[in-house]
Amino acid sequence: MTRRRSVVDDAREVRIASELVELGARVQVLETETGLSRERLLRLYKEIRKKSPPRGMLPFSTDWFMAWLPNVHSSLFMQIYQNVIQGSELDEIEAIIQAYRLYLEYLHTAGLTQVLSFTRAWRLVKFVDAAMLRTVPCTHCGGHFVVHTMELYDHFVCGLCRMPSRAGQTGGFRTERRERAAVH
Amino acid sequence: MKKTEQLLEEIRETNLTYLILAQKMIRADRVQALFRLGVSEAVADILENLSIAQILKIAASNMLMCGFRFSDEIVWNLLTRDSADSNVEQVHAAILMAGAAAEAA
Repeated sequence: MTRRRSVVDDAREVRIASELVELGARVQVLETETGLSRERLLRLYKEIRKKSPPRGMLPFSTDWFMAWLPNVHSSLFMQIYQNVIQGSELDEIEAIIQAYRLYLEYLHTAGLTQVLSFTRAWRLVKFVDAAMLRTVPCTHCGGHFVVHTMELYDHFVCGLCRMPSRAGQTGGFRTERRERAAVH
Repeated sequence: MKKTEQLLEEIRETNLTYLILAQKMIRADRVQALFRLGVSEAVADILENLSIAQILKIAASNMLMCGFRFSDEIVWNLLTRDSADSNVEQVHAAILMAGAAAEAA
């Protein structure tokens, strides 16, 4: 890069990158969202997490968001995100950070386990930007849920109004409650 | 008469607490406050800049300044249903609440 970077911009990018690392973002996310060099990002990652970042590709499938439990969490995150970005002057990445914090906070207050990682949440927003995924309202409850863009949803009923028979029984909501019951 | 007086006093206290909390939230983190309170940027601007005298005056009304945010019956049914899978209903309600808040803002 030939242009000298402004110190203020640089400080802002380091702040955003640090917040991303703290929330568990992968290095590829940091590279996309900041103009910082890969070398600096790796150093930042190691300083904050005290270990090297995981290698390998980012998850890239839109199908993950369609499974029952991921879809519930993704839809919740998207509602929070749309709420946060609406009418605000935040950059997209800052809105994702804020929305993800509110999502984690909700899980904490409700006593639920995290299903959507930061990197997945970030991918979800990118998929919606790229019109590969979108949200449609459920004709029963009126809530908005994440779906594939290409499919038609004239009479869409969400997975919470029409629960699949085994939904939430394996490793999802139920296990969590049993664990909590054991604690009390 | 005394009962009404007491009720008005409780409304005033609730209004006062609510307005002070709202102002504190907006000043601490505006983005999160908008989500939590469900108010628009414009209303947040006004709330943020209210003086103590203005807050006291507004609080001393016979009407509550805070209303129920979710008028949707489905949300209340989900929140109050006593079933084996209450976590599922809770998260369902959360999706509807976050969505309703987004539409209202």
